[in-house]
Amino acid sequence: MAESKLPVNILVRTVLRSFFLQASWNFERLQNLGIVFTLAPALRHLYRGQELAKACRRHLEYFNTHPFMAAPVLGSILALEEKQAKGEQGYLDVHEFKSMIMAPYAAIGDAFFWGGVRPLAAAIALFFAAKGSLWAPVVFLLVFNIPHLWLRIGGFLKGYLSGLKVIEVIQRRRLPDLAIRIKECMVILLGGLSAYLTLIALKAEDLSTGWGLVVAPIVLFVGWLAARGFSSLVLVLCSSAILLILAQFENFLNL
Amino acid sequence: MVIENYLIAGTVAVLAGLDRMAVLQIMISRPIVAAPLAGWLLGAPLVGLQVGGLLELLWLGRLPVGAAIPPDDTQVAVGSVALAVTAGRMLDYSEPEFVILCMLVAIPLGKCGQVFDRMARDWNGKMLHRAEMNPEVIGEGSIERYHLQGLIHFALSSLATFTVILVGGLIILNYTALWFIIPVGKTLNWLSLAFPLIGAAVIIGTINVSRSMSLFGASFATVILIFWIL
Amino acid sequence: MNLVLARIDNRLIHGQVLEAWVPFIHADCIVVANDKVAGMTFQRVLMEAAVPRRIRVVFTTIEKVPETLASEEILARRVLLLFATSDDALRAHQRGAEFTELNLGNMHGGKDKLRFSCTIALDAHDIENLESLEEDGVRIVSQCIPADRQMSWRKLIRHSGTSYGH
Repeated sequence: MAESKLPVNILVRTVLRSFFLQASWNFERLQNLGIVFTLAPALRHLYRGQELAKACRRHLEYFNTHPFMAAPVLGSILALEEKQAKGEQGYLDVHEFKSMIMAPYAAIGDAFFWGGVRPLAAAIALFFAAKGSLWAPVVFLLVFNIPHLWLRIGGFLKGYLSGLKVIEVIQRRRLPDLAIRIKECMVILLGGLSAYLTLIALKAEDLSTGWGLVVAPIVLFVGWLAARGFSSLVLVLCSSAILLILAQFENFLNL
Repeated sequence: MVIENYLIAGTVAVLAGLDRMAVLQIMISRPIVAAPLAGWLLGAPLVGLQVGGLLELLWLGRLPVGAAIPPDDTQVAVGSVALAVTAGRMLDYSEPEFVILCMLVAIPLGKCGQVFDRMARDWNGKMLHRAEMNPEVIGEGSIERYHLQGLIHFALSSLATFTVILVGGLIILNYTALWFIIPVGKTLNWLSLAFPLIGAAVIIGTINVSRSMSLFGASFATVILIFWIL
Repeated sequence: MNLVLARIDNRLIHGQVLEAWVPFIHADCIVVANDKVAGMTFQRVLMEAAVPRRIRVVFTTIEKVPETLASEEILARRVLLLFATSDDALRAHQRGAEFTELNLGNMHGGKDKLRFSCTIALDAHDIENLESLEEDGVRIVSQCIPADRQMSWRKLIRHSGTSYGH
């Protein structure tokens, strides 16, 4: 295991800089400049002159991963760079490590955070919003950011302290399966939330609760349309138009 | 008043817009956070909460994976709140149906967000090229300054989207609000229900959970039946 | 065998494939056709760790693509086939891998490559490869995720590409 050679303040600066990872995201090489920016304090500590320029150039290669999963990757990169600066040869060099890890880690982060935690936090917060509580945004931020910041800070340290072994840690956690579990919970919550919102609307329209059972198949039908590629924009504009036309029709009948 | 609101909401639009991709990503960019924040600063927190609650789910299923650019729900949310407050005062509307009307205007206008976002990323690409053309920048501090310049590009793209929604929205509402406010008012309850339910439907339709439809249907029906029995 | 999507994606298994395409086409098996990856345990283990258990991942060399696709364990599955480059796709097709449509997902930039869309950068060699695939009756379209509009690659390259040089 690598010994801690970089001073603590440089590690802290790297974590803080990692929040700016995607500031210059581009279609050419995606997060590459961000990686150089984040690693710059550490690289300056490890290399001088020509060596430093070479190290920077090395990191300007194509790179893209999930912004939060980048934390353990950055930690491991620092551990590998430390070794490389001392002239030690590892199982993989920094370039090989980066190119192998970026896509699988991106997949894990996308599934876990974008597919799982974020909708889960939204589903929970929307119950508060439905009650008219201004705590909704606070709840959302808390549920999302606890795992987020834990990974950004804890994941970085784990990566730095365990180097290449960080992969085993990630592998043991079976995050993609956990992500599926979270998504299932989220879908159930979303069902409850949708039913709750339906009940609010039925009450406001003075209709019986039982009508809610008619709404469910409509939602599933819209879901089926979405699965066939209809976009939210089209769906929301069409259904608004249908509702507005129906309202006119009702108006007409009343006359 | 328009200028003042533009500056206040524009600041939220830029900060939340940067959070989408460029910095932090602590999710102040989500409608459920950005809209109440804008509403609070404009003196109408509940309008913000209404907009945030209705818009949050709509594009939540569109993930920012790889190089794919999802629709800019951040600017639609902040723009809808700014429109509801600003146009509401100008045209003298304060009903919840006017907020929905503002959202219906902001949603199609927000389409331009993806175009501006793409332009910002293209701009970043050109900047990367400039940074690499100049070998001396590497190793000194200036490559970091190049990187941070990207923030300006993303900020401008967010501000541009927000401006299109606010200015375009004010013009459109000025001519159409009078016609649509009554029908929208009549369907207020159903429209308020349609937004989150369509969002939920898109999520369960596109998520990679094989049983999403049955899980959703079962929990929906359970809640309805429990309330029916009680 | 039920091949539901063949795709060129230099990132192979990543978020777009798992979060967007897999649910859209209901795939339950991903075949990664790549000589380099097939030979590297470390990379294979990493990729497998990124995929939920209910989806099978099979790694194969380009040579063995047709064999793999015809194998017992894959016959009953809905397969998503991934290549990293146009070279690989052409070689696999010439060896007998049967796909009638090819999706261009991500083909990132590099020396002498021109960028034709956000995610597609091609050089003259790529275009040659795609042309021969087309001659063999493969329909080639670019579509990064299902929510994007599908576009014929001919239409894509009609616009002049952007070069940033190197």
